[in-house]
Amino acid sequence: MRVAKSVGFEAAVVFVAGMAVALLANALSPLGLRLDRDYFPRVETTKNPAVANAAVSPAKGGANPVVERLRQRGLQAVDTKAVAESFRDPKYLEERIVFVDSREDAPYQAGHIPGAWQFDHYHPERHLAEVVPACLVAEHVVVYCQGGDCEDSEFAAVHLHGAGIPLETLHVYVGGLDEWSREKLPLEIGSRGSQRFQEVRR
Amino acid sequence: MTDHGAASNATGALLDKATVLVRWLLGGVFLYFGLVKAWHPVDFLKLVRQYDVFEGPPFLNLVAICLPWLEAFCGLLLLAGVAVRGTAVTLVCMLAPLTLLVLHRAWLLSEANGVPFCAIKFNCGCGAGEVFVCPKLVENLALIGFGCWVSRRRDHRFCLRSRLIPPAA
Repeated sequence: MRVAKSVGFEAAVVFVAGMAVALLANALSPLGLRLDRDYFPRVETTKNPAVANAAVSPAKGGANPVVERLRQRGLQAVDTKAVAESFRDPKYLEERIVFVDSREDAPYQAGHIPGAWQFDHYHPERHLAEVVPACLVAEHVVVYCQGGDCEDSEFAAVHLHGAGIPLETLHVYVGGLDEWSREKLPLEIGSRGSQRFQEVRR
Repeated sequence: MTDHGAASNATGALLDKATVLVRWLLGGVFLYFGLVKAWHPVDFLKLVRQYDVFEGPPFLNLVAICLPWLEAFCGLLLLAGVAVRGTAVTLVCMLAPLTLLVLHRAWLLSEANGVPFCAIKFNCGCGAGEVFVCPKLVENLALIGFGCWVSRRRDHRFCLRSRLIPPAA
């Protein structure tokens, strides 16, 4: 009994010390998370009339569960065709159409839609000051992540809405960079405006 | 010394050596996987969220912040031989519910996709990326078993301070 008590006490001490180490390491780490931040925010569908009243979503395909999930979250979905059209639209050169890449540094540097701003919503303080003014003057903002199961573009869009970007201008590119690359559309390497492009093989 | 006594001593020495190896193995595994997760906190946060156990901040974030570092810390203590039995108990208490969560999640995926249970492959947040669930469960059970073994052994060799509280004289 005495031994069990002593081992139990030891376990409690280890647990408490481990938690203290964890919180300290997290506080010191540049990659650390914040305890109080909601990293997976949502908006109500009814807040975005473009979605609530939409008979057909721009991404067409009501059966697509991702599109349906976006609709439920009050966000508009767009497909590769629509995004490629936006990319070729003269408004893109006038920065009235803006692309926002919601991935982390490494995948962003490896290749992004040319001219896309980086906005990693898990570390918003790094990008918000640049991205928000660009989005505020844009008529059409396309937010994307890798594609597939990735939900980062949705959360980034909600975060941008929280920073003052109207929901009506925000669009989530469901296919993400996976589909963009599959369609062999251009990719910019490195930082925004680096003018270094990945070779497109057709 | 009788033959029986000599054999008993030899077995005891063998068990001591085996315990040291098991402790180092356990320590190494937890230190490595803990640091892998701690190095990618956002990825781990997303993986913890998929279990739907903790809803939003601060609990979800607290688990994602603390679990990796706690694992790494315990791994380090086991390698160094500090508070060995208490550390092993802490690890078992962490690993057992996590294993149940992995089992539950895999079961749900199997039901939802109509796929045989052992064909389920997913990233369970264990630090090794996408893994098949059956080998993962076996691995976790083995680690729990090793943890129980280390926590039950009274004497440990090659330790900096195997007990925090010295035994009463």
